[in-house]
Amino acid sequence: MNEPIYKKVAPPEGYSAPGVYATTLDKLVGLARANSIWPLPFATSCCGIEFMATMAAHYDLGRFGAERLSFSPRQADLLMVMGTIAKKMAPIVQQVYEQMAEPRWVLAVGACASSGGIFDTYSVLQGIDRVVPVDVYVPGCPPRPEQIIDGVMKIQDLIKSETLRRRYSPEYRSLLEKYGIQPIN
Amino acid sequence: MSNEEVLKQFLEKFDASDLHASESFDMLTITLNTGRIHDAIKFLRNDLGFGFLTDICGIHYPDAEKQLGVIYHLHNLQENIRIRLKTFVTIANPNVPTVTDLFAGANWMERETFDFYGIIFDGHPNLKRILNVDYLDYYPLRKEYPLEDPTREDKEDHFFGR
Amino acid sequence: MEKQFVPEDFVPVVLQLGVALGFVVLVMVLTHIIGGKRRRIRSIRKEDNFECGIEIKGNARFPFSVKYFLIAILFVLFDVEVIFFYPWAVGFRDFGWSGFWEMILFIGFFLSGFYYIYKKGALDWNK
Repeated sequence: MNEPIYKKVAPPEGYSAPGVYATTLDKLVGLARANSIWPLPFATSCCGIEFMATMAAHYDLGRFGAERLSFSPRQADLLMVMGTIAKKMAPIVQQVYEQMAEPRWVLAVGACASSGGIFDTYSVLQGIDRVVPVDVYVPGCPPRPEQIIDGVMKIQDLIKSETLRRRYSPEYRSLLEKYGIQPIN
Repeated sequence: MSNEEVLKQFLEKFDASDLHASESFDMLTITLNTGRIHDAIKFLRNDLGFGFLTDICGIHYPDAEKQLGVIYHLHNLQENIRIRLKTFVTIANPNVPTVTDLFAGANWMERETFDFYGIIFDGHPNLKRILNVDYLDYYPLRKEYPLEDPTREDKEDHFFGR
Repeated sequence: MEKQFVPEDFVPVVLQLGVALGFVVLVMVLTHIIGGKRRRIRSIRKEDNFECGIEIKGNARFPFSVKYFLIAILFVLFDVEVIFFYPWAVGFRDFGWSGFWEMILFIGFFLSGFYYIYKKGALDWNK
């Protein structure tokens, strides 16, 4: 019987000594943020059901620290858009994204959120990246819970490697302006 | 009451000219012109007991003379009889009187029919788009468009093998 | 027979005040240092009330009668007065006549205030 192989997540680069681990503040804060994501489940359709399965005991997204779901954008880190977004819903998604506090990430779950899916029609927004900047796309119709967890793990990698100053940078500001989000300062 | 009795009582009140009655799948279907449709529904509701408006929908027959149609489905809950009323209008003059004064539920149903077919309901309190975005400048369910719009920017063609 | 307190006895109090104040100041300074200067993104819709993503229509505040507030605040004031009656009641005999007249003066201040609010109609519920 083979030993089960557990893939362990490597610690960030740093200097270690007995009882001490020294690393940069960026990496420390990134580690803390990545392992305590508070997602905002913007579940619209079938992918929302797969998300329910992901949060349930069998697949358990809570293992990764994402146990506390927030339906208010003020307290959420990760906007998970799961399901078909109609064109009428698009400004609402954008406003919810805008009202999240930095740092914030967006996960587009499913084919409909990524590109409109099979709904090539007058009423469906062809991908939420027409209204909000998306960090990770999870394709599938619907994606299996393992794939959603894989997407969240990729978000975790992004979070761990993000610098503390990224949200104050002019690149981020111009990224938001590209989506029509106008800063007032 | 059976369908025949309903039709008999209906024809006592309404002149049979310019009226077409048939029965499809056990449901009585009466086609009227637009001027009489409001009185017909009022008569059915008040005198014959058809107090439940199941649906108002629209339809577009591109090959007919009067292309746009409005179809009303009424239901007599006491005696379990359903009836369908149809009325047809032209695209140039798509005006139909509203039945919101008879059935409050007709409000949103007529808005939906307006949204998708462009049929104007005279006397409607709030006739504006209900399911589509407000800036949509065409009526989607009319059969006026080719199946794939070459000027559409939504989907990128090379992803779909076109 | 009373214990004399020398100023050195109050050093723990000053120390505690210093720690409390210092902690607050330290945390605020630290957050400003780590948080960065005012280069955060701010936009109009971001700072609006959260209305599930749809446009805000009007103000959620609604006007309510000030008489509820008035009654509550007057209650608090007169309740504090009553609290001062308790030690007076306990040591009533020991204070003698001079204590009595001092308390009558104290009550007199409150009574004049009560007369004022009565005349102003603050206790008129139906107004």
